[in-house]
Amino acid sequence: MSAFNAIGDGRDVDQNEFTPGLEPQPTWCPGCGDFGVLKALKGASAELGRTPDEILLTTGIGCSGKLNSYFESYGFHTLHGRSLPIARAAKLANPGLEVVAAGGDGDGYGIGGNHFMHTARENHDMTYIVFNNEIFGLTKGQTSPTSPKGHKSKTQPSGSAKDPIRPLSLALTSGASYVARTAAVNPNQAKEIIIEAMEHDGFAHIDFLTQCPTWNKDARQYVPYIDVQDSDDYDFDVNDRREAAAMMAEVEDALHEGTVLTGRFYVDEDRPSYQQEKRAIGEIPEEPLAERYFDDSYEWERSADHFLDKHK
Amino acid sequence: MPADFNWAIGGEAGDGIDSTGKIFAQALSRAGRHVFTSKDFASRIRGGYTAYKIRTSVDQVQSVVDRLDVLIALTPRTIEENLDELHDGSVIIYDGDRTTMQGVEIPDEMVGLDVPLKSLAEDAGGAIMRNVVALGAACEVTNFPIENLDSALQKRFGNKGQKLVDNNKDAARLGRDYVGDEYDHEFNFNLETTENDYVLLNGDEAIGMGALAAGCRFYSGYPITPATNVMEYLVGRIERYGGHVVQAEDELSAINMALGAARAGARSMTATSGPGIDLMTETFGLIATSETPLVIVDVMRSGPSTGMPTKQEQGDLNQMLYGGHGEIPRFVITPTSIDECFWKTVEAFNLAEKYNIPVYLAADLALAVTEQTYPPEAFDMDQVEIDRGKLVDEDEIDEWLDESEHFRTHALTEDGISPRAKPGTAGGAHMSTGLEHDELGRRTEDTGMRVEQVDKRNRKVETAIERESFDYREFGNPDSDNLVISWGSNEGALVEALDFLAEDDLDVHVISVPYIFPRPDLSEEINAAENVIVVECNNTGQFANILEHDSLRRVQRINKYNGVRFKADELAEDIKETLAETAEVHQ
Repeated sequence: MSAFNAIGDGRDVDQNEFTPGLEPQPTWCPGCGDFGVLKALKGASAELGRTPDEILLTTGIGCSGKLNSYFESYGFHTLHGRSLPIARAAKLANPGLEVVAAGGDGDGYGIGGNHFMHTARENHDMTYIVFNNEIFGLTKGQTSPTSPKGHKSKTQPSGSAKDPIRPLSLALTSGASYVARTAAVNPNQAKEIIIEAMEHDGFAHIDFLTQCPTWNKDARQYVPYIDVQDSDDYDFDVNDRREAAAMMAEVEDALHEGTVLTGRFYVDEDRPSYQQEKRAIGEIPEEPLAERYFDDSYEWERSADHFLDKHK
Repeated sequence: MPADFNWAIGGEAGDGIDSTGKIFAQALSRAGRHVFTSKDFASRIRGGYTAYKIRTSVDQVQSVVDRLDVLIALTPRTIEENLDELHDGSVIIYDGDRTTMQGVEIPDEMVGLDVPLKSLAEDAGGAIMRNVVALGAACEVTNFPIENLDSALQKRFGNKGQKLVDNNKDAARLGRDYVGDEYDHEFNFNLETTENDYVLLNGDEAIGMGALAAGCRFYSGYPITPATNVMEYLVGRIERYGGHVVQAEDELSAINMALGAARAGARSMTATSGPGIDLMTETFGLIATSETPLVIVDVMRSGPSTGMPTKQEQGDLNQMLYGGHGEIPRFVITPTSIDECFWKTVEAFNLAEKYNIPVYLAADLALAVTEQTYPPEAFDMDQVEIDRGKLVDEDEIDEWLDESEHFRTHALTEDGISPRAKPGTAGGAHMSTGLEHDELGRRTEDTGMRVEQVDKRNRKVETAIERESFDYREFGNPDSDNLVISWGSNEGALVEALDFLAEDDLDVHVISVPYIFPRPDLSEEINAAENVIVVECNNTGQFANILEHDSLRRVQRINKYNGVRFKADELAEDIKETLAETAEVHQ
């Protein structure tokens, strides 16, 4: 854990600090699930005692990409599908930052799918929130990687012939060490899950169900939802990879049959993060890369002998 | 012209050609001789012809020539491939016992030395040392003291135990003695030694070293020929300076990671070749519009598509200058020699941070894989200066807040340069975006702000042109009527071509250009000269086109795109021919 975390502990931060004075009111459509993510993220950040200056939020392209405009922090609204490599490198360069990446399901599971797989595999210490509305919202309702089979849209007028991606299973198989699903209609659970994800040392993936009342009218509003941790009907060990895998498959099937199951589906607190692995073998220095520039007493080791001896 | 000697070892990929050649090059360098190496190689790991060539002299050498004095041939094809370069009196060392070499014919005018490389190596402790036996034989032929070879063998094998080093030394002596005992031919080669101290390095290594010296603390890349050596150079070294190297899942990730680390405050770089540049171009616009400093190295190879991955070409110039949708301000720098690979890398980092702009550093395969000797003073680290530009800390944040207390990361300044505050800096929280934005980094489609931001980004380039020296390098006779212009790695061959041209009483003015954008204005020089020739390793004359545009004058072109770099003697002939053709037209 970095120095920042220690400072954050017990500090009193009002969640209104994360509401930007410039654009306090988001322009998402009325009833959009994205409001739920924003609210949960503000609440979680405040509860963890983080300040806007300590958080880097990177976003992709889509309705979700507007999150930066409505969340006061250091923010970088990047390219379609590329928020993950940018976020994880920023964390490597400055481990003191709280790094959160966010994007839609097309962004994360489609065009950025390779980055999703490899960021999970490498277990970078960061949080990734995927706004999953099972549709391309910003471009007005085309079929997305999570749209159910048979989904009709202007680009798939006869109904999608493709099975939807299985985001939770994909995260688990790829190597994510924290995998959860929550829903905009359940802000309390969402906040708790974001807190857990931020505190987790490793790659934490949250598949966040965000209803789209404008372009996905046929879809459920993700109510009623069931929190599997609160329900007696579901009994599995979130620390057990095999049980988690079986549960995730059930959850993914159930969504398209009308049952919304949310909660934590896999948690591995023992797996070292990329940073920890690399530090253990001496490939990442103890001090943050970026901070070294600001230490005036640090003497550059630039001796010519150091570099040139190898070439003699 | 330096009294030079040209040597090569050739065989199949997997024969250890590269490491054997490197040992001999190092031995020569350690003996105080200048060295210039080149490689003929195929991308296959095993199979296919490959050769390592060395040109050496007591004076500086910076090009290859079409001449070979001593050749160690492990395969018949090695001889066939080099027949044009071999001449009367050239020596060919080979092992007539090797199945494929039995009955091989050595041209009458040359000297064939049949040395049982394998069996002598076995006598010394193992057949694997047969190439070292050949090096020993080469020492005898060239009158090169074998003790110089010992020191290179010690360096190469020292970490594997003294026994192995001693065996190799024995193997070399068996090769030397065999030639001494079995052949009483008088060889006219004499590789004299000097007391001079040299370093031997290639362009990729010089770029890596430049990055370390410049304070690069984050490198992300994806393996690709011929740029991988930059990454391999940095891994294991950069950590000592507090940095980290990431091998990313693809080039998209590589450049986006470099971008992320740069925004977090670390000096960052990625290196790739043409196919990687294609992918990275997506992110290029975001880097520029978010005004993030980043160094992107393109070690060019033959294209398009997969092209000829292990062959020379300077075909990516247009891509670097114009790649990406929309209009993207950028710098394009093209080091012209291996020592300049070091200095231009340092400069690229400073330019990137002073102007918050992406900088392309374009080397090419010829620079990347060629090793050349320099005196250590050529890389004087005390001359390295680091300028991080307008990177502000928490005490300076206030100067850049607007009336609503928000940080103006894209402030509309007179010189076009805005401040950077890395995440974590107290009081500086702000966003940036690939969307057009206002001073605070917030999206806008306001027509006035759009124009102001575009103008501001371009104004940085104007400022750079005013403040920096984007100058060219000059050789030959500046008063000559014949002007030859080149960019990138052709400089060495051109400079040596001057000597060949002087033999025919032709004098030439050479301008070598390391900055393509912004670039020196050459229109005066071009219009003052009678004959203007632009030399480059591509088919369409990408730089020639630019110079015609700049000077409003047609130029002559020498283009080479067969995958092989320019050679000094060949280039001199090309220049002579081109000048003669022009003269005919004028008559």
